[in-house]
Amino acid sequence: MGTATSTPRVELKIPSRPEFISVVRLAVAAVANRMGFNYDDIEDLKVATGEALTNAIQHAEGRVQAADEIVVICIMEPRALVVEVCDKGEGFDPEARRRELERGELQEGGLGLLLIESLMDEVRFQTKPGEGTLVQMIKRLPES
Amino acid sequence: MSKHTDVELSSQQMDEQTAVLSIGGEVDLYTVPQLKEEILELIERGVRRLVVNLSDTQYLDSTALGALIGGLKRLREREGELRLASPQPRIRKLLEITRLHNVFDVCDSVSDALKGWTAQGGTA
Repeated sequence: MGTATSTPRVELKIPSRPEFISVVRLAVAAVANRMGFNYDDIEDLKVATGEALTNAIQHAEGRVQAADEIVVICIMEPRALVVEVCDKGEGFDPEARRRELERGELQEGGLGLLLIESLMDEVRFQTKPGEGTLVQMIKRLPES
Repeated sequence: MSKHTDVELSSQQMDEQTAVLSIGGEVDLYTVPQLKEEILELIERGVRRLVVNLSDTQYLDSTALGALIGGLKRLREREGELRLASPQPRIRKLLEITRLHNVFDVCDSVSDALKGWTAQGGTA
């Protein structure tokens, strides 16, 4: 007899306010440490998660009914940590952001996206202007 | 605006136009307004040569990098300059990823960064 094992997850729901970004960074670092990631990979995860949250909070402002919560889910797969950051803000166009950066327009949002994509092994966006954003970031454990 | 302990900013004026701004702790979306305010105050006070000492900086995000870029732009508009000093390896990595190591002068120490900016206001 056995029981189905599900992938362990840690979920956080935070107010969409800047003072909570460091709380999530610490939580993600703790999860990554538990999984056996090394110091550099843990720092990469902290930065990438921080940038995704910054993007979510900055784009929650200005909506008539501001998105007041952000959900962060850490999915502890056997060989990877998947961090999902989900908001109900105004959404954004990642391609437009990348093009701005390529044109040398040093906007913070472009730098944030660049950092996420450089530090994580895989990044996926589900976003549309006006419909919120899900950022899924994957960091794999090194082959032992 | 209330101050909080995630970041500690201290500035040291070397001469009328030269200052060293030390950033301790973490600068992110929450604490970056303090950094922006400090840089602005230094410029308004007449500082034109600013060294940002990163030796105790544990974390910088894109908003913090943006604040430093903003400071650099303001100083250059006034024929001034902003240099970064002593970034920890993690911060240096972020500067390289964002290619900002090509935008800023990044020095290994505060004294290196101050070289060429003499107390008399000339250059060596």
